[in-house]
Amino acid sequence: MKATKAKFKFDGGIHPAYHKELARDRAIETMPIPALLRVSMSQHLGAPAKPLVKKGDTVKRGQCIGEAAGFISAAVHAPTSGTIKEVGTAPTAMGTSAAFIAIEPDGEDAWIEGLEGIADWQNADTKALIAKVAAAGIAGMGGAGFPTNVKLSPPPDKPIDTLILNGAECEPYLTADHRLMVEHAEQIWTGCQIVRKVLGAKHVHIAIEDNKPEAIAAMEQAMEGADDDASISILKTEYPQGAEKQQIYATTGREVPSGGLPMDVGCVVENVGTTLAVWDAVVNGKPLTERVTTVTGMPVSEPKNVLGRIGIPYSDLLDFCGGLKADVAKIISGGPMMGLAQPGLDATTTKTTSGLLFLAPQETQTFRSMPCIACGRCVGACPMYLVPAELSQMLEAEDYEAAEELNVLDCIECGCCAFACPAHRPLVQHMKQGKSKVMLKRRQAQKK
Amino acid sequence: MDINNILITSGAIGGVGLTCGTALALAAKFLAVKEDPRVEAMDEILPGANCGGCGFAGCADYAKAVVLDGAAINLCAPGGNEVLELIAEAMGQEASAEEKRVAVVMCAGDSEKAPRKHLYNGVADCTAAAAVAGGDKLCKYGCLGYGSCARVCPSGAIEFKNGVAIVHPDLCISCSACVRACPRNLIKMVPVSKTIHVVCSSKDKGPIVKKACQVGCIGCRMCLKLAGDAFEMEGFLALRNYDIPVENELIVEKCPGKCIVKCGASEAPSPEATEPTPSEPSTEPAEATTEGQT
Amino acid sequence: MISYVLIVIGAVLVNNFVLTRFLGICPFLGVSKKLGTALGMCGAVIFVMTAASAVTWALQHKILNPLGLGYMQTIAFILVIASFVQLVDIAMKKSAPKLHGALGIFLPLITTNCAVMGVAVLNVQLKYSFIKAVVFGFAASLGFALALIIFTGLREKIDRANPPRAFQGVAIALVTAGLLSLAFMGFATLVK
Repeated sequence: MKATKAKFKFDGGIHPAYHKELARDRAIETMPIPALLRVSMSQHLGAPAKPLVKKGDTVKRGQCIGEAAGFISAAVHAPTSGTIKEVGTAPTAMGTSAAFIAIEPDGEDAWIEGLEGIADWQNADTKALIAKVAAAGIAGMGGAGFPTNVKLSPPPDKPIDTLILNGAECEPYLTADHRLMVEHAEQIWTGCQIVRKVLGAKHVHIAIEDNKPEAIAAMEQAMEGADDDASISILKTEYPQGAEKQQIYATTGREVPSGGLPMDVGCVVENVGTTLAVWDAVVNGKPLTERVTTVTGMPVSEPKNVLGRIGIPYSDLLDFCGGLKADVAKIISGGPMMGLAQPGLDATTTKTTSGLLFLAPQETQTFRSMPCIACGRCVGACPMYLVPAELSQMLEAEDYEAAEELNVLDCIECGCCAFACPAHRPLVQHMKQGKSKVMLKRRQAQKK
Repeated sequence: MDINNILITSGAIGGVGLTCGTALALAAKFLAVKEDPRVEAMDEILPGANCGGCGFAGCADYAKAVVLDGAAINLCAPGGNEVLELIAEAMGQEASAEEKRVAVVMCAGDSEKAPRKHLYNGVADCTAAAAVAGGDKLCKYGCLGYGSCARVCPSGAIEFKNGVAIVHPDLCISCSACVRACPRNLIKMVPVSKTIHVVCSSKDKGPIVKKACQVGCIGCRMCLKLAGDAFEMEGFLALRNYDIPVENELIVEKCPGKCIVKCGASEAPSPEATEPTPSEPSTEPAEATTEGQT
Repeated sequence: MISYVLIVIGAVLVNNFVLTRFLGICPFLGVSKKLGTALGMCGAVIFVMTAASAVTWALQHKILNPLGLGYMQTIAFILVIASFVQLVDIAMKKSAPKLHGALGIFLPLITTNCAVMGVAVLNVQLKYSFIKAVVFGFAASLGFALALIIFTGLREKIDRANPPRAFQGVAIALVTAGLLSLAFMGFATLVK
């Protein structure tokens, strides 16, 4: 299998400083289980899971401790064996409060009995495979956390002909997906084939940015002997190549219509981490209880790609990486472009924690937002063909109708506009707020 | 001057006028739109502030709702009792006069008394600030001070003093716009004659409150002991029961959390407002610092 | 034919009713806050001005002139225009009640809109034929619409741009109108 260059490239985008060298060459390290794990019930998009256990219960690793509540929701499993210390609410990395279950590990780390995989997945029933994925509680591990089983069951009127495996990892600093591809290419490819079979997709594109030659080589090797409909697309390194809609365009030339979903153009995009979890769930029958998180940044003593259980407090994660060697001005859960700033290290890892980034004072700035000078840089940088300058002024004036007309809901909050803005306007924040206001208005209108 | 000239002129112009008038009369007849005259009359009665406090899109909408759909007649807060009486008269209903209610911000944790936990450098708007890591104030119930309430206030009654919102009761038109705008639900509508409030909304336990704010309710129940039923507890937070007057005003000084204050200009004399108190938030002007950049 | 084209260009650009002749300033400032309302106003004004040109021309040449009543021009014109506007008002209330509500007081105010009166009087002064008068009336209203739409777009932007407090509202609108008027002076030598 030889990788080929992607035929298309989305318009817009930016070139931030990547700093991937910090953790790129660090092999994935397994982190020992800390003294306490706090597992959030709201690790995915959609309704939070419903806790199934109470204080004092003993659980085994892989035991379902939170059941999916609703169609768009995902189950949560105990990341290790131990005793339930507390069921309560605590602030999450998102800044909101959510239910969590605190587990005190008993050190045995024993798996729950009765977990069985489907070794012969090639001949298995599609429904059984999807059920396996749902039972494993897998949610999109690229960051958005969309429940994977929902993605794998598109409505019958939207046939899927293309599966895109997202290995772009366009966020600066983060290297978790890169390491996964280098070290687990075989399993990812198997997981990819499972997803392909479930979806009935003819074509498969593995999309990787050209700044990860090792990952490309590893995938090439793993895919030796694959059929002609599978290919590796090398994308030009540019942010946001990893964004769903941009990637679909880059690999297939199809454009997702405004307000539409990838399945409207017959595509499904899955993160490489998600496919690995699918492989683990289907072949080994193991629920999602761990993930790789990149802990990085100049002030971190030893930046690492950490394979850790879900629910590890950020402070323990940092300790595992040798603590800090310099001052920190900003802590971000996720990548620097789309991640969420943290007020401290109290939050815990979830299925979507792709990275924990520490920025030194000299890397961050306190901006004073200035009026828009209408230079148009944000327009050039926006990969969704929006006019952020105009939109942000409308949203600042709380003219939500006008903003809705200019398709504010299409914004993917990638941050290109704010990155490009010479007046340091908080464009993405305006968009985020505007989007929630417009959505609220729509819901109210629907109720009426 | 020929008399004919005058006749021709008046005849010609009169004729033109007559033609136009006939055309208009015909149009009015054939293109007439049925309209309830009472709606128009109601529209005249309402103050026309279009504040939306009644829950309808504007005064015209409310007028329609009152006349046609039988909406409650006492929803127009800015109009006060005068308007209420007029509406009642027009609708043939009994006016049940209610005391004017004004907005009070149930937080006094200004920038000196309530520390911030991180530096927020973004859109100066409370909802936006609250969405970033749960707000930059250490107290997760306190006023963020970015002025979302002041921006929606149609009468400019909200001022920022040291990073905390203060409502001027004299300017407040009772529209409740600020109540809806506050992401932390700190603003309550209270009867204007009641001037003793618990200006804290923290539901946290005492030690947490103490760490987060110098003027927070620590749940000590002192107010219940001193003033009886005028206060009630909800978890670790004392709440004022506005139906019962405060007999023992000593509580204002005695409250260990210093969060029970007496404030505001009142219209009706009440046991609580026998002497004018220039205390805490009220009339004195201060530099408005709506741009609460920290 | 070329004379009609010149009339149109002259009335729309060179001698724009609002920005060069300063007629119809009231709706120009009053209804220029939202594009939707502005467009409605434009439609109403286009209809009224075109029709008023035709009617007033007929009135002047068929009734007033033969009777030697040229001096009654103003009164007679106001009479006709006023009824016309009322007619539009009634019709709009029936067919587009939303727009009617949004235009509010400005619709009856077209009655006293000097642009309408101006076009009627100018038609007489310039001794236009009937067709020329109608074309001129239509073109003049187009000019009004053009100015109003440009101005509304600018005002919508300015309102969002948060100008200094002293300039907010009508103040900055008048400054903008002045600049727009200056810009339209650039068309001055387009038609000689």
